[in-house]
Amino acid sequence: MSQTKVLLVDDEVEFASALAERLQLRNYEVVTTHNALEALGSIHSNPPDVVVLDLRIPGMDGIETLKTIKKFDETIEVIMLTGHGDIQSVEAGMKSGAFEYIMKPVDIGELTAKIDKAQKNRTKKEQ
Amino acid sequence: MESENEHEVDVTFLHLRFIGRILAGFTHEIKNHLAIVKESAGLIGDMIQLGKSTQNDSGQYLEIVRSIEEQIEKSTAHFTYLNRFSHRMDTPLSTFSVNDSIEELAALMQRFANQKRITIEIDLQEDLAPVHSNPSMLQFLVFTFLEEMLAELDKNSRIRINTEGANNAVSIRITPEGNVIEGAPDAGPMLNEIGNAVIKQLGGTLSRETGKGAVILLPLRAA
Repeated sequence: MSQTKVLLVDDEVEFASALAERLQLRNYEVVTTHNALEALGSIHSNPPDVVVLDLRIPGMDGIETLKTIKKFDETIEVIMLTGHGDIQSVEAGMKSGAFEYIMKPVDIGELTAKIDKAQKNRTKKEQ
Repeated sequence: MESENEHEVDVTFLHLRFIGRILAGFTHEIKNHLAIVKESAGLIGDMIQLGKSTQNDSGQYLEIVRSIEEQIEKSTAHFTYLNRFSHRMDTPLSTFSVNDSIEELAALMQRFANQKRITIEIDLQEDLAPVHSNPSMLQFLVFTFLEEMLAELDKNSRIRINTEGANNAVSIRITPEGNVIEGAPDAGPMLNEIGNAVIKQLGGTLSRETGKGAVILLPLRAA
């Protein structure tokens, strides 16, 4: 079975780096970017299965980034990462096509479960 | 008379809003520090549990531990700023260092600036004499200008805050440098209204010019 390709977008470099390594140790293929433009560039050059997207990233509003990703490829699933119970942003994200959301600090088991579910959903959409 | 009361209520509300914004930014920042600590600790656990620890990993362990220590140091500094910020409200008037209050505010607002990719630069004249005024209201006034500039300026802009002593007073100059976002609403009238109300409480003077920033002048305490 091929590895799930995850794009992790978070401006906190150390957070993203540690989380990426933890996911890699669990056999995910992970690319990290730290702002919206880098993320969109990466999606174009190397489309992921799942994007884990911090809602508050520099360069572009997280919701706008989410909409741009969905416009590029509707099947790419997006899991929003939020530092707080920012209900309004989470609701706006879900309405804009996000698959799920997860709160920081992240529970790695919860995150991998959501990534796996998102990947299954993407496979279904592609079929 | 009635309009004066309404005015007072507005300033009180906006001051509370300012405190709320600072607290929201602070908690967000600390939560990020904790998230890094959690992922770093989790990574060490993973390396041990998932069998990566048999390799010569002491260098990486040390690097992760250093990252955790760094986050704790950053959090501690941030807590110190928030603690000082909170004590600014202990009494309405006190004798304080303008530089300390500006440094603290700039640190607590760094997150908002980073979010917009705007740099807040502070240039504080050393050995400024303390002033006797309301430190929390001064921070509120500076915050009001900073918040407005952060909303108006495009990314990669700068906001400079300078302090200097002049004619028995301390001046605080807040200057925007960069491009203004097209279609940004003009908050001038509202800023003037808030500015005039707050500067009265501070016992100083305020001059403001659209696009060029603001200068707050606070008199030194009479000997």
